[in-house]
Amino acid sequence: MVAAAPTIPGELIYEAIGLKKQFDNGKVMALRGLDLEIRQGEFVAIIGQSGCGKSTLLQMLGCLDRPSEGTLNYRGTSIPDMRDPAAYRAHQIGFVFQSFHLLPTFTVLENVQIPMFEGKLSRSQRKARGIELLESVGLGHRLSHYPSELSGGERQRVAIARGLANRPSVVLADEPTGNLDSESAVQIIDLLLELHGKLGVTLVLVTHDLSVAERASRTIRMKDGRVISDKVAASH
Amino acid sequence: MTFFTIVLRSLTRRPVRTCLTLVGISIGIAAVVALVGMAWGYEKGIGKQLDVMGIDVVVSNMSGGLMPKVFDESLQNEVSKLPRVAAVTSALMQMLSVEDAPIMMISGREWGGFAWDKLKVMSGRLPIDGNEKAVVLGHLAAEVLKKKVGDTVQIESEELAVVGIVDGQAMVENGTVFLPLKVMQEVTGNQGKINFVDIQVPPNSPKSEIELLCKDIKVIFPEGRAMIASEVVGTSQGFRVARAMSWSTSLLAIIVGVLGVMNTMLMTVFERTHEIGILLAVGWRKSRIVCMVLYESALLGLLGGIVGVTLGAVGLLILGSSPGIRGFLEPDLSPKLMIISIAIAVVVGIVSGLYPAWRSSRLSPSVALQS
Ligand SMILES: Nc1ncnc2c1ncn2[C@@H]1O[C@H](COP(=O)(O)OP(=O)(O)O)[C@@H](O)[C@H]1O
Ligand SMILES: [Mg+2]
Repeated sequence: MVAAAPTIPGELIYEAIGLKKQFDNGKVMALRGLDLEIRQGEFVAIIGQSGCGKSTLLQMLGCLDRPSEGTLNYRGTSIPDMRDPAAYRAHQIGFVFQSFHLLPTFTVLENVQIPMFEGKLSRSQRKARGIELLESVGLGHRLSHYPSELSGGERQRVAIARGLANRPSVVLADEPTGNLDSESAVQIIDLLLELHGKLGVTLVLVTHDLSVAERASRTIRMKDGRVISDKVAASH
Repeated sequence: MTFFTIVLRSLTRRPVRTCLTLVGISIGIAAVVALVGMAWGYEKGIGKQLDVMGIDVVVSNMSGGLMPKVFDESLQNEVSKLPRVAAVTSALMQMLSVEDAPIMMISGREWGGFAWDKLKVMSGRLPIDGNEKAVVLGHLAAEVLKKKVGDTVQIESEELAVVGIVDGQAMVENGTVFLPLKVMQEVTGNQGKINFVDIQVPPNSPKSEIELLCKDIKVIFPEGRAMIASEVVGTSQGFRVARAMSWSTSLLAIIVGVLGVMNTMLMTVFERTHEIGILLAVGWRKSRIVCMVLYESALLGLLGGIVGVTLGAVGLLILGSSPGIRGFLEPDLSPKLMIISIAIAVVVGIVSGLYPAWRSSRLSPSVALQS
């Protein structure tokens, strides 16, 4: 009961065929044969009830965990068989998590520079890039603060800046507004949309906030580890 | 920010734990420096003594304890008849407790032998002849015993007059009590016995000639041994025991240090599982995380080593000036020992980090993130 994939121009970024993921020796089936295509430049919102496998899917897309069965490709290369998963995570994708996942003993500016150690930038270039990124998310005045000194919305901005550190082509955001008040949530979505528009990154956003999903170019609804509907927004 | 900043940050985030770990390693390293420094100092002191006295070959029966066994003094006569010998003298040396000093080198030297030549009188005089019941003290020995010319000193059951204070030009000599061989034999009940025959060979004798002499001596004195002075320190039983003891005690201290660092690093890795998950998620290679853990433990080792060497050096200086040891050995605070100790500390750090680093590299990113 997979909805026909809408035809959107753009290079095929992700392709999942019959993707399955089991936990605890098959006692938990988080993904049960999921099919999906995501193309360059899309803003895809993934919605569905808690426990339907959204986070699990994002972990597979981000090569943080291996699927149990099925095909999962990034630009034609099998993600679980990648020879250098770290390079993929460092340079092709940026993660944004619900609980921010910042390093508490590092300042905002330092947190943003962490992924850059996998790149070729010099020390001063890393710093300059970090400042540039933080300014672009509106935190240019908070460089030497620690995450604990920031509000939730500000922390998520830092996480977004960190996600963009190595100019990825995809941003994977797992309920980035889940821990935020509604006002910060709107700001974060605005920011993600702005970056999506400005940088042309492909944005895959998990949310259960329907108002957020409405702003996406495409909405995928999941249930019990499968895609049950896939709609392209009318405005796109 | 550099990679080093990241490494350093994890040490400074738990300052108390880092300090306690440093105390652990530095005590181990301090023990290494102090013990090995004493052993080396002992060796160096003896080597210098032989050199100053102008001894080329030492004949003794080293199978005993710290001091060699006694043998009949007639050996001196036989040795003097051998070819390639320029001068011979004999001595009866013992380490005895003298009055308040727990242990002191007492050297009975054949009167008229070359071993007396190098003693420079600082006050008083040398004995008048080989029968005078008198001693002269190396100046450090005089200091330790708190004696001056005109006092008496009790050795075994005899009261002997202190007739002179001398500069022996080597630490060990300065810490020694000298007396004529005859008197020493009487005082210690070793009439007719000696435990050293010291030989001078003609100037500029090649080593091969001296080795031939040693072989000849072996023939007439099969139970003993003739050793070239420069090799005495390396081969004698006493030095080997001292060396082995100092290194084995050091090894224990080092093992304790390793366990301390390993424990700290394991705790660090476990409590930072979540953060390691974050690092993996943003694209850090496992090798970089392994490096981070190893650098951190190596840095702990380096810091502990520096603190330990400082503590050990201070300890060695204090030991070296304490009454029981002063003049008996000259603690060796060589740069070589310091560098070796710091290197040991760094290796200790790295070795202790290996297992924690391996544990950290086995973390799965998704599991680590959820912890
Ligand atoms: N590491 C895990 N071990 C066991 N079960 C898991 C694990 N991760 C997720 N699950 C289970 O898989 C299912 C899907 O989880 P998840 O992908 O987190 O759902 P969602 O993000 O849509 O709420 C849930 O039933 C969850 O309990
Ligand atoms: Mg989830």
